[in-house]
Amino acid sequence: MVHYCSKCVYPNSSAVPLGFNENMVCTGCQVSEQRIDIDWNARLERIKKIADEYRVADGSNYDCIIPVSGGKDSWFQTYFVKEVLNLNPLLVTYNGNNYMDVGLRNLRKMREVFGCDHIFFSPNIDLLKKLNRLCFKKMGDMNWHAHCGIFTYPVVAAVQHKVPLIFWGEHGYLDLGGMFSLDDLVEMTAKFRLEHAQRGFDWFDMIDEGENIRAGDLIWARYPTDDQLEEVDIRGIYLGNYVEWDANKQTKEMIEKYGFEVAPEPFERTYRTMSNLDDMHENGIHDYLKFIKFGYGRCSDHCTKDIRLGLMSREQAIEKVRAMDHIKPRDLLRWLAYVEMSEDEFDEIADSFRDPRVWTKTSDGLWEKDNIWGGRSAYPVPKLTSNSSAVPHSLIGV
Amino acid sequence: MLKKRLIPCLFLKNGFLVRSERFTNHQYLGNALHQVERFNAWAVDELIYIDITSDDSYDVGRDDLKIKSEDGALGILEVVAKGCFMPLTFGGRINTVQDISDRVKRGADKVTINSQALRTPDFITESARIFGSQCIIVSIDVATNANGEYEVMSSGGKMPTGKKPVDWAKDAEKLGAGEIFLNSVDRDGTGKGYDLALIKEVADALSIPVIACGGVGQFEDFGLALRDGHADAAAAGNIFHFTELSAKKARKTLIKMGLNVRN
Repeated sequence: MVHYCSKCVYPNSSAVPLGFNENMVCTGCQVSEQRIDIDWNARLERIKKIADEYRVADGSNYDCIIPVSGGKDSWFQTYFVKEVLNLNPLLVTYNGNNYMDVGLRNLRKMREVFGCDHIFFSPNIDLLKKLNRLCFKKMGDMNWHAHCGIFTYPVVAAVQHKVPLIFWGEHGYLDLGGMFSLDDLVEMTAKFRLEHAQRGFDWFDMIDEGENIRAGDLIWARYPTDDQLEEVDIRGIYLGNYVEWDANKQTKEMIEKYGFEVAPEPFERTYRTMSNLDDMHENGIHDYLKFIKFGYGRCSDHCTKDIRLGLMSREQAIEKVRAMDHIKPRDLLRWLAYVEMSEDEFDEIADSFRDPRVWTKTSDGLWEKDNIWGGRSAYPVPKLTSNSSAVPHSLIGV
Repeated sequence: MLKKRLIPCLFLKNGFLVRSERFTNHQYLGNALHQVERFNAWAVDELIYIDITSDDSYDVGRDDLKIKSEDGALGILEVVAKGCFMPLTFGGRINTVQDISDRVKRGADKVTINSQALRTPDFITESARIFGSQCIIVSIDVATNANGEYEVMSSGGKMPTGKKPVDWAKDAEKLGAGEIFLNSVDRDGTGKGYDLALIKEVADALSIPVIACGGVGQFEDFGLALRDGHADAAAAGNIFHFTELSAKKARKTLIKMGLNVRN
């Protein structure tokens, strides 16, 4: 039986594990409320002190690494590290080959606006197509390669360049699900990468005869060993523990001050145009699969964030969720062509991942689930390939 | 001479690892198994799992993960024990000799007993006779009551018992407990440091080992429990989840403080 948080719009079937208190408020909302009592000025002093410890006085190396996708958070992290902490960062990007035009423009612009060196790492495209297919079948998520690349490659680069300090943005599971307290000052761990970012699957799980993937194809996906982490004394700090994070405010600042661009046309599955520009499938089919699995989608994520920031009421949020969470997005057409799969096969595999806590099948063969606005509804699955809708221009692969 | 021990403590609720605060707030950290792999890699001295589930529901959660969740504490123990290379204690919800037997059979080296020992103190003696005192840890949860005195709590820190911690610990020792696991409801998850006065009072009154838990906010706290609190082992739940190589760094801190721990 699905139930929902009484403050935000998250269900207990959320991909990010949630606890609920006696008032049915989820742990994500509980932790979010901590923000009010935190002395953010003291946190700022604390992070400045950490920055001082790591600044390379003689300029013989970078002071820190910032993993960047080119998105709004990347811009804010880089701004903060350069301008507030006065450090000299090396920017590192994993390129999953799913950039939207606007996302790639934003990423390229970073070197110019912030004056930073930048590593743009791109795995072989044939392998990426294979991983898309394999991981969709294995875990119902074509974007495993991206989660792995984003959480692996910057740490690999840090070890290679012997730069101990890495600045991540927000801790996603803390922010969304309240996994930790903001007082814990949690740092990035190999366990978080493997269990949460990669669902427990590591590079060696991807060696596959059918897709002809071999160990040598996955060199970039190997996380440094404990000995390597210890030798360089790698430390991955989340800026979300030190800055009162407000994505809306920060994005506005990045637009006005530095020329960050939001999506030129609205997304189908969320009202936010500033998020997930680095990967056309993140707000698209990757997220659609979250709806197929757990019965909610990106619109719920963004509404939850905006409710917690005081920008939206729960009632307004529910209307948005009702309109968007279930939509089957058109980037599917790019993906099907990219990996050479039919829509029927896609739907069939997707259905195999429906969470039995959420979904039941009606006698007519339709999938049915509880609604946050009450009652239970069937959600028929439309076919996008049959009505010849073209791939939106902004989603054509770059 | 016995070395002092550093022990990560994993709290399990409804099948998931949780971060615990004052015995009431529980935040889900993930699967019971992933963290064991890390503790194996860091070669910690021992591991304690405590099942703090208060109902009988074991939500197996999402099923698109590599490691599938087990639906029940015994299932979790069985899988954990297979991959656990250090002495393993498994506690929580133990009320009968059969409960202990079920856990030992599945690979637990020791168990903790708490509320049932308070209800029926002879349970300690009977368990120790069957499994040996080395297997039986009596777990004691302490809170400060309205009069500002330490009081032993039962049922997951919820029910006052009227007992003084030091008296109950001495009784438990006499009845056959092999070790005492001493936790503080007030300090749990606060990061404010151990209740050193409580730990010292209990540790000084006993000849069996005392494992201190509750309140660690920095690695130095472990050293304080061992040095100033006279505990034989320092345990913590939350802090080991916060940073990379946490247990290794904690041990380094103890060595730097001059404490006699394993290298």
